[in-house]
Amino acid sequence: MTSEPMDLRSRHTVPCYARIQVIGGAVVVFIAALVWYGAISLNLGTVADFGAGAMPKALAILLFFGGGAVLVQGLVQRPEEAERAEFSPAPVAILVIAIALFGLFIRGGDFTLLSTPQLGLGVVGPLTVFIAGCATPERRVKELLPMSFGLTAAVLLVFCDLLQVTIPIFPGFAQDAIFSSLGVDGAIRALYLAYGGIAAALYVAFFGLRDDRRD
Amino acid sequence: MTDLFDHLVLGFTVVLSFQNLLLCLVGCLVGTLIGVLPGIGPLATIAILMPMTYNSEPIGALIMLAGIYYGSQYGGSTTAILVNMPGESSSVVTALDGHAMARQGKAGKALGIAAIGSFIAGTFATLVIAALAIPLSKLALSFTAGNYFALMVLGLTLAIVVAGGSVLKAFCMLIVGVIMALVGANPVTGEPRLTFGSQILYDGFDVAIVAMGLFGIAEILRNLEAPEGRPFVSDAVGGLLPDRKDMRESAGAITRGSLLGSIIGIIPGNGATLSSFVSYALEKWVARRPQEFGRGAIQGVAGPESANNAAAQTTFIPLLTLGLPSTATMALVGGAMTLHGVIPGPRVIDQHPDLFWGMVTSMWIGNLMLVIINLPLIGIWVKFLKVPYRHLFPMIVLVCCVGIYSVNSQPFDVLQIALFGVIGYVLHKLRFEPAPLLLGLVLGGMLEDSLHRGLILSHGDIWTFVSAPLTLILLTAAAVVLGSALSPSIARRRQLLQEED
Repeated sequence: MTSEPMDLRSRHTVPCYARIQVIGGAVVVFIAALVWYGAISLNLGTVADFGAGAMPKALAILLFFGGGAVLVQGLVQRPEEAERAEFSPAPVAILVIAIALFGLFIRGGDFTLLSTPQLGLGVVGPLTVFIAGCATPERRVKELLPMSFGLTAAVLLVFCDLLQVTIPIFPGFAQDAIFSSLGVDGAIRALYLAYGGIAAALYVAFFGLRDDRRD
Repeated sequence: MTDLFDHLVLGFTVVLSFQNLLLCLVGCLVGTLIGVLPGIGPLATIAILMPMTYNSEPIGALIMLAGIYYGSQYGGSTTAILVNMPGESSSVVTALDGHAMARQGKAGKALGIAAIGSFIAGTFATLVIAALAIPLSKLALSFTAGNYFALMVLGLTLAIVVAGGSVLKAFCMLIVGVIMALVGANPVTGEPRLTFGSQILYDGFDVAIVAMGLFGIAEILRNLEAPEGRPFVSDAVGGLLPDRKDMRESAGAITRGSLLGSIIGIIPGNGATLSSFVSYALEKWVARRPQEFGRGAIQGVAGPESANNAAAQTTFIPLLTLGLPSTATMALVGGAMTLHGVIPGPRVIDQHPDLFWGMVTSMWIGNLMLVIINLPLIGIWVKFLKVPYRHLFPMIVLVCCVGIYSVNSQPFDVLQIALFGVIGYVLHKLRFEPAPLLLGLVLGGMLEDSLHRGLILSHGDIWTFVSAPLTLILLTAAAVVLGSALSPSIARRRQLLQEED
């Protein structure tokens, strides 16, 4: 997250292992090795009729040299030209958690390492918005809470009601009971109306009625 | 000539149904809506919105997709003019004079001339597509596997040369993309390749998922890093319609831009960006008062905007007639067509004439809609630009998740966009341009297939394979392009061009 100007930063010497070119080159070489490893058992065939292994192996060699060249560039470049690779892991991790949560719980299922129940868009939607919203340093919980419900309501309205996209909406254990009492369409509409109401109520509670609303 | 008009009439009868017009309108609107967001270019916009089109008929879906494409292009120009933040490289030059005009309170005029120029250029480009499509696809049908292979090599070479950053790194990305295309079931034998025993990899990589991760999610991660230094958006847009003097001044620029863009767009590589730069340089060169450029010269908006719109449209030509996408965006459009059961290529015109001509005419309709809807809606876009990013990105994340889930109902697809989002972010940090990867991913299978067939036909004799006249010309051209890009003087000029990105 450092935002010092380039010329200032490059005055410090960057150690080899932190240089953009070195890391980039090494990653590409690693991928090349991985591809080669994966292609070992595939047969090459002949020139007139090459097998499944020919392209992967040839490309792995090309990639190895390409990545190697980037790596070497990084190693031999003058220290003042080298740039440090900088990552900010926090926003990345938070956003990944938000999306992974959506993926893991929207329908649930068996993900080899863990099996998850279906929670549906009604539960997962607000959570995804809320957690994703935390990824920025400028997060404001008071804004995020009404937003989570408001955006989920909007998505339910547009995708599930208008575009008729099939996506689980309610938690697996409650789904049948809800659908049988309200009907499928009725349940969806009730949910987004309720969420819209919650969003409006939270907004009024936090910010009053003074300025223009935007939802 | 009468053929041409018959075809266009056929196209119009397809497009002018209530449902298709509505889809085109919705496509233009949401395309502009997302495209207006700073930092989100057409590629990311299409990646994010593509799942929305999956629910309609193939024709409707493609019309909507085309609408999204133009909308996002136009949205990018709007942002460039209003806040000096080009959403994509093709509107970088628009920002120079467009934003200067906006600072003088003439934002409306700049947006107006951009829309009018784009529309005129779009009309011209539509005619170019209609005129070239049939001869080119006939030509394509006579291509041998070897010709196709060489053509793809040339296209991919041009793509890595015009991609941002180092050619070497772009080359690496391209190879990674081609390798990713090979992952999964072998098309001939069905045996797993490079799957490392995983069932998920057996199905291969989905273009839509990879694109949404690499461009949609990664874009958000990149934007989250930059502190929210949102520049001031002026409320005073000023009069929208350019007056007679403006029109007279820009008429030449629009004409030259349309011609230039239409030609450059056909050439593989990032036609829209290249043509806008070339057009700007040309306008500055022919202008009577070149010193006004950069200070709000209306030709500096009209020319490049016409050029990039014409090019954006003629980039469809290689995809629709040869089946070869020349930019990452087109690769995505090609992927969407395949998903709807329409394999892009020379046979589309014969097999689905209604679809082909419907799509071509919808381009024109889409451009017309952009002029009609966007000028009155500029006030809304201005408001939208003022919404802080912290409110926007959670919405984009949710729409991406719902969108990608709705395509296959596979929870794992959602996890994959997170993974590719991280990969895209890391690639950006390591200065690898991901666009060639996407092109490689789309073309990889075809590349292997045409090489394989070509070598079978030449009985394994590499010399016979290479020495077919057209193959030889195309491969030589590829070698020349690559060689010249690596030569120091041109490399320096490329760098200059990209520093403005």
